[in-house]
Amino acid sequence: MSTSSPILTVRDLSIDLFTARSALRPVDQVSYSVAAGETLAIVGESGSGKTVLNFAPLGLMPLGVSIHVSGSIRFDGKELVGMNDEALRKLRGGSIGVIFQDPMSALNPARTIRRQIAEVAELHLSLTSTQAEARALDLLKMVRMSDPEARLRQYPHELSGGLRQRVMIAIAIAAEPKLLIADEPTTALDVTVQAQIIALLKDLQKRLNMAMVLITHDMGVVAGIASRLAVMYAGRVMEYGPVQSVLTAPRHPYTMGLIDAIPRAEDLPGSTFRGLPGMPPVLGAPIPGCAFVERCRHAVPTCETARPLLAPTADRHVLAACPIVNRSSEALHAG
Amino acid sequence: MLSLVSRRVHNSLVLLVLATLLCFTLVVSAPGNIAVLIAELRSPNASFADIQKIEEELGLNDPIPVRYAGWLTGALTGNLGISYKTGEEVGPALASRIPVTAMLVAGGGTVALLLSLVFGFAGAMWPRQWPDVAGRGVALLGASMPSFFVGALLIYAFAVELRLVPTFGLAGPSSWILPWFTIGLLPAAVLSRVVRVGLEEAMARPFALTAVAKGLNRRAILFRDALPNIAPTYINALGAQTGVMVVGAVVVEPLFAWHGVGDLFLTGIRFRDFMVVQACLLIFISFFILLNLLVDIGMIFTDPKLRRQGS
Repeated sequence: MSTSSPILTVRDLSIDLFTARSALRPVDQVSYSVAAGETLAIVGESGSGKTVLNFAPLGLMPLGVSIHVSGSIRFDGKELVGMNDEALRKLRGGSIGVIFQDPMSALNPARTIRRQIAEVAELHLSLTSTQAEARALDLLKMVRMSDPEARLRQYPHELSGGLRQRVMIAIAIAAEPKLLIADEPTTALDVTVQAQIIALLKDLQKRLNMAMVLITHDMGVVAGIASRLAVMYAGRVMEYGPVQSVLTAPRHPYTMGLIDAIPRAEDLPGSTFRGLPGMPPVLGAPIPGCAFVERCRHAVPTCETARPLLAPTADRHVLAACPIVNRSSEALHAG
Repeated sequence: MLSLVSRRVHNSLVLLVLATLLCFTLVVSAPGNIAVLIAELRSPNASFADIQKIEEELGLNDPIPVRYAGWLTGALTGNLGISYKTGEEVGPALASRIPVTAMLVAGGGTVALLLSLVFGFAGAMWPRQWPDVAGRGVALLGASMPSFFVGALLIYAFAVELRLVPTFGLAGPSSWILPWFTIGLLPAAVLSRVVRVGLEEAMARPFALTAVAKGLNRRAILFRDALPNIAPTYINALGAQTGVMVVGAVVVEPLFAWHGVGDLFLTGIRFRDFMVVQACLLIFISFFILLNLLVDIGMIFTDPKLRRQGS
């Protein structure tokens, strides 16, 4: 873990989404922090709020959705919650870089790679177009593109998925951000390419000393790159701590189930997947107790009524939102 | 890319030959004996021998393929035959009228281009606010009113009441304005919706979110990211609307007493002056084929996926 003070500190962040037909709370009192040079992985199943958590406060939401953010996000000495649009816009692409999940659709099909990278440098580094295009070439070399001069003249449809994701990364780091948010950067890619992209991100993070928030549901990616891990379920953080501790000795019943669900090499061919029974709760109605209670094997009656807060476990670096874990470890094994 | 363009050019030439055949067939198969018409025009009490003589003069007794070949070689050298009504050569009459129609359509096209881009872009920049609502209203009006009605309204307002421009005729820039707006309003209405809807669709695509993440403002995203993506669609629609304007010229030219091809075509039909009709049709069809060719080439140039094909 890094010893420097956090560059990003999120405290009690809640986000409400209002569409024409419904109101949801996809993020519910979430807290975490990331320091420069450190990677926080946020894992959780689809719909657990991990993307909204990172994108909504930056103003990166699809049209037709209005959001309400409460709590606090301190980034680089500035408060992002309630920040005016213009100031937030200057941060986006400048000190905060973003990588999206699907490089097939995240790049503009009608523009050259050169312009799509260079405009970021023009905007945030105040470079002329010639300087910015020279920087685009440097960036393509930095993301280890083969034949970078030729790539600059190409259009996205002429590149493979892995190359497009490298272009996306080049765009995200064009202004040397202090924080890089990567939303499932390898999900849409081939397995062999995934490893290359993760290695590249790790290398770039070290070179630029960026803080990185990696949203994923791939535990392999988490183990390979992250230093800290936040496990999310139904918009809440269930467990939070150093990656090694959480992955090898999960405390929260949900984390246990999540890690147990990963297929293992010793599984016999044709054996059934170990999944978690049941479905995540609907986020429209308030959940008074623990969000995981309906699927939890260890639940006690108070889990239905009292919401457990993140609290240190026996290993004080690991926080878990489960009263059972902290009361006695025997209770779990007996269940 | 070049092979793609040359294939389009080749297709257009084949189409053009087929079109001449169609033009010719239409006139040959038109009911009534042209020789009788001409004979009656020359003298009210023409005899059967007179008619036969005229048939011989016009080559009406030749086999059809020979007549087609004769007409085609004539057309290629600008000799489009003689008007049955006036007895004048059709070629020079047409040549003097083409610039008038071209000027009308080009002016109307410019009006449509400017209005549609301004209204479409303003609507996308401030969706559901007053520029969008106003643009939508103008588009609805423009698309629902026939051009002769629009023309009459414009004449009444700007020529009769305000006396800013002449009511009709072709004499200097002030007389161009009303015909241009009359013919350009419908295409402007249709095209402004193409721009507005296209931009909105482009803004909902993931690359627009990437542009937001880059820190660009809405105007920059619309210009740099959304606009290039609607260019092929827009060029296609602009081509179609130019076709609509050529047809519209048949109505608008008589309204403002402009002596263009549309006006000539209309009088040709009224007097069954088939040589004139045939020549006008040939010009119209050639123009449509050329227009389609230009649209195809324009789309190849604005769509990177098409541009890289075959290169």
